[in-house]
Amino acid sequence: MSKDKISSQEIIDLVSSKASVSKRAAEEFLKVLTSTIEEALMTGEVVKIKNFGTFKMQWNEPRKSVNVQTGEDIILLGFHKVTFTPDNQLRDLVNEPFAHLEPVELDGSPIEKTNTSSEPPLDPLRTLNEQAFEIRNILDEIRELSTTADGKVESIEIVEEHIFELKEDVVEPIIDSNIIESEGPESFVEETAEQIVVDEHELSVIIETEKVENELPHQDLEEVDLQINFNPKSEPVVSEISISITENRESEPELNDSVSDIDVLIEEQKVKKRRHKKTWLIVIVSSILLVFVGIGAYSFYPPARNFMDKNYSSIKFSVLKKSESISMTDMFNTVSGWFASKKEKEIVPQSIVIPKDTMQIDSIEAKPEVDSLQMLFDNPRVYTAYLGTERIHDGSRLTIMAKRYYGSKDFWVYIYEANREHIANPDRIPVGTLIKVPKVDKRLINSSNLRCIRKAKELHDIYVKRN
Amino acid sequence: MNHKELIAALSEKMNAPKSIVESLLDTTVAMCTELLVEEKTIGFQSFGNFEVRKKEERLSVHPATQIRTLIPPKLVVNFKQSTILKDKLKDLPHE
Repeated sequence: MSKDKISSQEIIDLVSSKASVSKRAAEEFLKVLTSTIEEALMTGEVVKIKNFGTFKMQWNEPRKSVNVQTGEDIILLGFHKVTFTPDNQLRDLVNEPFAHLEPVELDGSPIEKTNTSSEPPLDPLRTLNEQAFEIRNILDEIRELSTTADGKVESIEIVEEHIFELKEDVVEPIIDSNIIESEGPESFVEETAEQIVVDEHELSVIIETEKVENELPHQDLEEVDLQINFNPKSEPVVSEISISITENRESEPELNDSVSDIDVLIEEQKVKKRRHKKTWLIVIVSSILLVFVGIGAYSFYPPARNFMDKNYSSIKFSVLKKSESISMTDMFNTVSGWFASKKEKEIVPQSIVIPKDTMQIDSIEAKPEVDSLQMLFDNPRVYTAYLGTERIHDGSRLTIMAKRYYGSKDFWVYIYEANREHIANPDRIPVGTLIKVPKVDKRLINSSNLRCIRKAKELHDIYVKRN
Repeated sequence: MNHKELIAALSEKMNAPKSIVESLLDTTVAMCTELLVEEKTIGFQSFGNFEVRKKEERLSVHPATQIRTLIPPKLVVNFKQSTILKDKLKDLPHE
């Protein structure tokens, strides 16, 4: 028994002693047993022994191999093989020493990897929105700085001026701050005047485009050819816009040349900021409008569909430009809207020229925020895509899942929302419940945005109090 | 061929009552199990060897979810047919 291998003879001895039969009988029995199993297997049968296991015949296909010495290809012939699958009882008994071990799931990098791989193809709008939030946060910081310095709230343009002044003071303390201050507003007036000129440009352009657009719907109802005619009409308009923009850009540096170096610095920074804001706003609005115009034309206007099929690339280009001009009108509308309603109170103490500019910046920064995020908050969320499913076991928490999938445990409410029909009480989910982890809009689960977290906390309060 | 059929076939060949054959088979199975639990190798002449093999722990990755799972080590019973049986099976035509 101390040996590792037990031979047939030893088995015979053991069986005979245990079953209290003669050795000869035991020997015969084992011989007959093996021969019967063999025979049964030969005929292709499966032999099953209770509490022991199953014997099966298996055919191994012939396969190619290489002679290690000569490097020649050889073919290994196919052969039959007897396989043995232990019974559950035998398997468990044999595996007793390791029975307490269970497969362990290793968390960490793989999940993040899948997340990042799914991120890039989403859409460029999302990244632009993130940029927008960043800019907004920067502006908020600036506003805070100004309030602490002056003790009163001013419009952002003025705030920026102050900040630049402060910076200049730090860098060159010799320069009298009064001079800078006196110079600042001057240059500002010049710039805003310029801005107004540009605005006039835009206005004229807008009026023209609006004309074209007004003509369009009537034509739409009638013929395709008019749709094609529209393109040449809109193109000159587009070129005008671009000219006006380039003029604007060219004239600004010229203007700056006349002012002192410090002012140039300030101006450049301002211009950069404004341009940056403008470009991303234009890109966002134009792309959204492009989508809407495209869908509308494609679905409601069958001739347009034919046209699209023929001249897809060219029309796309023209539509893009058209939407760009629309974005200008939008911008202007919002500017006037803001001017009329919200900013009026704050503007009163300022000079008349300054508010126009400040408003524009305010509208630019505030618009996407209110539009996209508030809409996301207000609309009921519909969950169609899922990142994965999780089975609730002892110690599972929705918050932990949220932390793993979304990066912050505050967003567990969205998992709960997607599984509300299965969960009676989010604090006590029965073990074994299958939880689907929904794919939530990236903007909603931006853990660096305070508004998202606030919204999630609101939802949290609602759901926790209700139960 | 299931357990009952095997006993019937055995009793016919040995000219012995089924009850005896059954008890003999049961003791053989119990003994083999016992020996295998002790991690012994059992050799049946001209049939094959039963042995216990240890499968080492391994890391498996779920292809869809990329979740990595550590599979613990385990002991499994392995049967290896003897060369005599293998030669017999060689003559067997395939299909």
